Amino acid sequence: MSATLIPETGAGTAASAMRRNFWRGVWRVMRRKPSRMAGVVILIGFVLMAVVGPMVLPEHLPSNPDALTRPPSWDHWFGTDPQGRDVLALVIKGSRYVLLTAAVTALITVVVGTAIGLYSGFKRGRWDTVLMRLTDMKLTIPGLPLLLVLATVWQFGSPWQMGLVLGLLGWGGVARAVRSQTLSLRERGFIEAARGLGLSTTHIIGRELLPSMAPYIAMNMLISVTGAVYSQVGLFFLGVLPYESDNWGVMLNLAVFQAGAMITPYALGYLLAPLLAILLLTLGIVLVVDAMDEIFNPRLREE
Amino acid sequence: MKRLAAVVTLLGLATATAACSGGSTNTSGSGGGGGGGLFTTIDVTRPGLEATAPANPYHPKGNSFVGYNAMRIGWVKNHLTDPNQALPGIAASWEIAPDNSSITLKLQPNAKWSDGKPVTAEDVKMSIGIAYTQGSTAFSITPGAAGAAADVTVVDPQTLKITQDMDNPSPTFARNVLDTNVLPAHVWGSVLPADFWDKLKTARGDGADAEKAREEISALGEKVLAFAPPKDVSAGPFVLERVNPSEALLVKNKNFFNAANVAPAQVKFLNYTGNEQIWNYLTQGKLDQAGFTATPSDVMNRIKQAPGNEIIKGYSPVAVSMAFNQSKKPYDNVHVRRGLAYLIDRDQVTKVASPEGGTPALTTSGIHQKAAQAWIPETVPQLEPYKADVAKAEAEFEKAGLSKKDGKWTLADGSAWKVSMHAPSGFTDWLSAQENIKSQLIAAGVDAEVVTTADYPLYLQELADGKYDVGFWLMALGPAPYDIFQRLYGASNGWTNVGNKVTHNAPGKNGNWMSGPEEIEVGGEKINPGELTAKLNTVGAEEAKPIMAQLAKAANQDLPVIQLWDYVNTQFVNNSRFTGWPKDDELLRGGGKVLMSGVWIQQGLIKAKQ
Repeated sequence: MSATLIPETGAGTAASAMRRNFWRGVWRVMRRKPSRMAGVVILIGFVLMAVVGPMVLPEHLPSNPDALTRPPSWDHWFGTDPQGRDVLALVIKGSRYVLLTAAVTALITVVVGTAIGLYSGFKRGRWDTVLMRLTDMKLTIPGLPLLLVLATVWQFGSPWQMGLVLGLLGWGGVARAVRSQTLSLRERGFIEAARGLGLSTTHIIGRELLPSMAPYIAMNMLISVTGAVYSQVGLFFLGVLPYESDNWGVMLNLAVFQAGAMITPYALGYLLAPLLAILLLTLGIVLVVDAMDEIFNPRLREE
Repeated sequence: MKRLAAVVTLLGLATATAACSGGSTNTSGSGGGGGGGLFTTIDVTRPGLEATAPANPYHPKGNSFVGYNAMRIGWVKNHLTDPNQALPGIAASWEIAPDNSSITLKLQPNAKWSDGKPVTAEDVKMSIGIAYTQGSTAFSITPGAAGAAADVTVVDPQTLKITQDMDNPSPTFARNVLDTNVLPAHVWGSVLPADFWDKLKTARGDGADAEKAREEISALGEKVLAFAPPKDVSAGPFVLERVNPSEALLVKNKNFFNAANVAPAQVKFLNYTGNEQIWNYLTQGKLDQAGFTATPSDVMNRIKQAPGNEIIKGYSPVAVSMAFNQSKKPYDNVHVRRGLAYLIDRDQVTKVASPEGGTPALTTSGIHQKAAQAWIPETVPQLEPYKADVAKAEAEFEKAGLSKKDGKWTLADGSAWKVSMHAPSGFTDWLSAQENIKSQLIAAGVDAEVVTTADYPLYLQELADGKYDVGFWLMALGPAPYDIFQRLYGASNGWTNVGNKVTHNAPGKNGNWMSGPEEIEVGGEKINPGELTAKLNTVGAEEAKPIMAQLAKAANQDLPVIQLWDYVNTQFVNNSRFTGWPKDDELLRGGGKVLMSGVWIQQGLIKAKQ
């Protein structure tokens, strides 16, 4: 009993110590550059905005027909839209769809891309050929035109649908990269050793290969969030997806084509608010990816 | 929005029927012009220039600008009540038979093509042949079509007589004849086969031969659309010089019969793909003239500030409405429709959605408020105005059996009610209106949503298929009384009129998506609004008035739609380089795809600024 307990306790302590060290390292990396902290704060802010924002704001934002397309003021920091609604409130309400879609897209991109890349790279042979030709084919299909065609048959009413489609269109790059990493890692000594010890394939992939690639995969996940945001906002901007007044893409479209933001300064706030939101989100992600790079890359950490 | 402007223009003029009047004789505009200079404008009906498109007025992207380098027999006017009024085009004058059975055209004696050849009655006859291949209203091969021509006779090189098939006449026959493009036979002649007119005669008959002939004529339509003249040969005031993706340049046609009075030496059409580009041109004072473009108030103010810019507003025989599919609950109940009419503040909707291009509808009458004053001035005050009144709305909802729970209106059976409004995604003023209506309804406890459809043709298709509960619908398409009311009591509401026989289709069948009742009680009397509307196609102006009054009352009480705003024809002009802009409603709008500024120029109305 005790013989089995002692090593477990020991392993547990070692693991928790490692975790402590890891978080200490994270904190050190973060502190080194304040911009990285800013990145984390921005991302937390966006998550809070998407989760809490729509709960705090009324379900239907009040409109004021006497204040249509007004410039920024103390009452309305980014002015009002052509319906007389507060632009900032619209951006906050619209963040849930955008961020949920982005999260779903990122998850699917990474899960599908990693699974195919790992399997392909580890198994090699016939399956590798089949899967990689499939990936090549997928990579040759231009994303935006395909989305435009898909939008005519599918309405993408919910962020889950939108995320699913964007995710299924975006895994190609990740699959290719993960495969090449796998091909390189599987020839390394520690994998050879694991094989020599007779460990199962599941163990080798799950415990040896995946953790080595985790940072890379996590960074890809964050970067695909920005890609997903651009794609969906672009589609809504082009007007091929159903209209939802608080969607960031729809806001950009209406700012230019309905409110005349390129002509009259009154509508500038309406144009700038969703643009700034996208810019800030991208900035937050870039800063966090920069931090992650250092956290997971021992050589950078040592410097 | 651009698409909407184009659709409004085309729909307003695509069909026409109404009270006839005597012939009109016109003389060309007088006064000297000829000052020269470059006139800059846009073709508001067609976004995007295509440099390789031919100078063919039937080609969807053709570089043929009607009024400039493409001529029509006459230029139909935007008259409030008389659809057959027109300015002279290739025809200098015309006579319409008192019973509307024929129109005799007298061509301009000095009309010449830009290559120097004279414009003759044979050119006009061939142009009519080409119009047949395009399914025009007056030159239709569809059996039983109303207002179709029976015969085209060349009386002499300057005179043509076109007779109407009196089995199913239309009061707008003359209008539809005059609104026909005229093309040079020596360039286009090869498009029609030598036996075309025999084929046409066969097509007018019955049986398999006639069917085959009709198919052959329709097939020629494709050939016409694709035809590319080697160079532009125009009978208009200008001729196409060159086109590149950013502009089309036209130069003055020295052979034009009224060339002495044509002020600009050149005309430039600037390319645009969206409204915002037109706004840009206008704020920079680049355009001498531009047709109606939906414009937000702030942008409009900037346009007004540009030196020389002036906004001319006039009558546009189109209104927009919120239409109901009465096969869907609770819209089958008139009290629900009335309740909504009381709930929606049309002034606010118009202020938000179309402050510059619309005026709030005074009430739902089925007819534009300006035309209503001309046709049925005594009836207008008798109509319920449906001024925004929440108490009245709630009383109507209660009459319909709806109930209010926790501040929200629910259906009679207690289930949730959501007013689901549909619009095509490019029509930003419609979307804006629906978004405002949604806010108004939600504030009053009626849940609502706005749903978009990818484009207008798909929207119309899905609307006709009965997929929507509520959609926006263009209506009151004047000037002909039949055209005005057939938008409410025509095919979309169950009545089809073929060969002057009116039949009623069951809801959901043959395009009946409004699904209103076949008979309505108006002032204690049961009427069949579809049959009354069809009657408007055959009666004269005086007989039409009492029918129109009855139909206006029917529309007002039964509310198949809620009329929201009546469109205003907003024109942008600049006085820095040219002057003489007409302010007369009748001249501000013409036939389908006609650029009225070209008509003003060729009539000699526009003068170069000295």
